[in-house]
Amino acid sequence: MNITFSEVTKTFEPDITALFDINLNIEQGEFVYVVGQTGSGKSTLLRLITREILPSAGVVAVGGTDLRKMKRADVPYYRRDVGLVAQDFKLIQSLTVYENIAFVMEAMSVPKKIVDERTRDVINQVGLWRRRFMRPSQLSGGEQQRVAIARALANSPSLFIADEPTGNLDFHTAAEVMKILFSINAAGVTVVMSTHNQNIVNSSRRRVIELENGHLVRDEKGGTYLG
Amino acid sequence: MTTFKYILRDMFRLVVNHWVLGLLTLITAGVMMWILGVTTLFSLNLENLLTHLESELVVQAYLAKDSKIDVNDVAKKIQSIEYVYAMKVFSPADSLAKLQEKMGSQSRALDMLGENPIPYNFEIHVHRAEDVEHLVDELNAMPEVEDVVYAGLVVKRISALSRISSRVALIMFILSVVITALVVYNTIHISLYSRREEIGIMYLVGATRAYIATPFVLEGTLLSLLGALIAAGGILGAYFPGITLIQNNLPFLRHSLITDQGIILRFCALLAGFGATLGWVCSYLIVVRFINSITKPE
Repeated sequence: MNITFSEVTKTFEPDITALFDINLNIEQGEFVYVVGQTGSGKSTLLRLITREILPSAGVVAVGGTDLRKMKRADVPYYRRDVGLVAQDFKLIQSLTVYENIAFVMEAMSVPKKIVDERTRDVINQVGLWRRRFMRPSQLSGGEQQRVAIARALANSPSLFIADEPTGNLDFHTAAEVMKILFSINAAGVTVVMSTHNQNIVNSSRRRVIELENGHLVRDEKGGTYLG
Repeated sequence: MTTFKYILRDMFRLVVNHWVLGLLTLITAGVMMWILGVTTLFSLNLENLLTHLESELVVQAYLAKDSKIDVNDVAKKIQSIEYVYAMKVFSPADSLAKLQEKMGSQSRALDMLGENPIPYNFEIHVHRAEDVEHLVDELNAMPEVEDVVYAGLVVKRISALSRISSRVALIMFILSVVITALVVYNTIHISLYSRREEIGIMYLVGATRAYIATPFVLEGTLLSLLGALIAAGGILGAYFPGITLIQNNLPFLRHSLITDQGIILRFCALLAGFGATLGWVCSYLIVVRFINSITKPE
């Protein structure tokens, strides 16, 4: 799924402009780091892709569809093709690990047998099978992040959005999470990940899009990030 | 079918997770529905009683003692008045015999009158107590009618009682409905509010608004339905012993009360249906409003 930003500006009420006139194109299967200081507009850019927010000006198109023109009833169907991992994990606290992951398929009316099989597969993929009956509050930050990744993988999405997925994790756990993200990308899934972790960006040399105070200041293939 | 199973399971999860609040809602809805049911039944019984009393109300119209008056013509005229439900004609001789029978041993006093003083007269029954006054006006306007006798004060009191009971029943009905609706509305609102973050996450990972909303709507409907069923059970358990008690102590009301079990059962089923519908409407309104506001993109 390719992503296109054409002259995108986003202003929040009353008058805070988070992004200014952004133009970029991300091709299917790319792995892209979105870097920048806190408040530079990284999360805003990702939230525009997931259609949590709409641009104040310009066009955000994913897979050729202008997200502003997308009907509200179609949004859930679009999001089923977008795996989302957030810094705060966004897990449902009242559900177990297993239920959190199964939920995304249940919401699509997938039969229980298939839900069970697929849930087992993705939980095993992130190495949490023994933790499947625990609630998010009983897990460490790294484990919760892996649950979020497993949930994002459950629907086999074409696009994977990760908003600072290693932000709350120690070096070792962050490396494990990155390993999973690279393997997802290796399977042809577009991955867009925001981070301000220099080590992660510099060790893998992927495309880097840098934002500064809402402006796109750098778009470099095989780039680095110096903070 | 698969979706419905998931939704039902989510609904039970909601009920279990908020069981204290659910229990309070259940009790409140049950009590309000019981009050609603009892008030309605009281009103229906009172209406029945008033209808019975009204059917006993009689207007007596006496004709002038004029040999030229054709009694059959007058009878036809009276019969054509819209307020007349039933009518009986009494000849002077019949009327005298009736009076003598009523007076018993004192009937000899009537012999002192010599000639029978009672003219042809009509015993008229009306549909409703409030029709009496109109009927009397129409009868008084007829030149053949010399006198009209009726229980004016009783009529006025029955009419007033009928009006008051209808109004009280209406007020109680509205109050019960509003209180039940508010309680259900609040419960679902609290349920939604406490899960607003989860709702946002569900929408974010691809659940449709209908999929998210339905368990909440079902929760409200279920709680209201259960409340109404408890109320219906309470009414069924209390109504017939209550009626028996009234009939034993006030035997003159024996034929004026609703004693048909079929009617009461149908009434209870209607109450349960009404409770479920009320719960569904309230929950639907709050859920749609809440989920729309939470899932609206900035």
